[in-house]
Amino acid sequence: MAVLLGGCAMGGAMHQATLVGQCAETDAACSRRHPLAPLAVGARFHPDVSAEIAGTSTPSLRLESAAPDILSVEAGDLVARKAGAAAVLISTDDGSVVDFVHVWVAPVTHITLAKRDGERVSGSLGLAVGEDVTIDPALWSGAQRLSGDEDLTWTVSDDRALAVLRDGSAGRRRLKARAPGHSTITVALGDSKAILDVEVVP
Amino acid sequence: MKHVLLLVALAACNPTLTVQSPQPPGRIARMDPVRTFWGLQRYRLELSRGVAIALTCDLDGPCEHMQVVSDDPAIAEVRPASLGVLQQGGLDGEQTSAALVVVGKAPGATRLHVRSKGKERDVVVTVVAPPEPGALTAAR
Repeated sequence: MAVLLGGCAMGGAMHQATLVGQCAETDAACSRRHPLAPLAVGARFHPDVSAEIAGTSTPSLRLESAAPDILSVEAGDLVARKAGAAAVLISTDDGSVVDFVHVWVAPVTHITLAKRDGERVSGSLGLAVGEDVTIDPALWSGAQRLSGDEDLTWTVSDDRALAVLRDGSAGRRRLKARAPGHSTITVALGDSKAILDVEVVP
Repeated sequence: MKHVLLLVALAACNPTLTVQSPQPPGRIARMDPVRTFWGLQRYRLELSRGVAIALTCDLDGPCEHMQVVSDDPAIAEVRPASLGVLQQGGLDGEQTSAALVVVGKAPGATRLHVRSKGKERDVVVTVVAPPEPGALTAAR
């Protein structure tokens, strides 16, 4: 799997290790490309940790959180629990700290929708029968885009006109136009929601 | 006078510490020396809860067989660290730095004891709760 390594790494305070998101190089809209941003409350971040220490390859490393009530580590993932900041310690298997990164967690204030190439979609969208479009939601805290994967709720008002299909990514969906008609897609997380009207034409 | 010189000599022969990591924005991670007429006595370290700080220990070069103990790990946890840089070790050439990381776990005060070659230096640690949004002032 191609993984982004440059330009989006969280560099450690001791300049020895980095955390990057596990994200396909060609996936321009991958929400996990923004590891420098705060994690959304409730989101899960899949890090890829590596170290660069003179004279050695990367040793076996593990992650620990300094404040698990804010940010916990579960099966190698960072899970954002509540707003705040927590140091993520990057340690060797004997507990010796190689580096650490302070990671921020922020609440979601609103959700936006974008096509896979990053172009924002809002209001309404027209599709011809048989056409499909991939929609990628983004989570925001004010003007700041948040990172991490969330379990968003997708609802469709008329599934005869439009099908909402999973495409292998936790947040993304593919909208497939089935039959002429009108359908409303709602993407929600708690009180935050984004609504998209889709008109399907013959 | 002999006792004064002895005290100064003893103070100078204890480990010294240096901060090796920056303070994150909106949080505190700062260590300052506490000096008296007799020289460096100890350090005071202020940390926000959930924040970490990296330090190196020197005693005529990187501290040999460094041991660090926290009186209350529930307030300030201390961990050995691997800092892969060489540092001048007096007249004996370079040695790998001796490093440690202190983590603020819960608000309160405690003390760290850093020992090397039978010498000791104390660090008085105060862990503070993170600020409420909008509560920061320019007075920090």
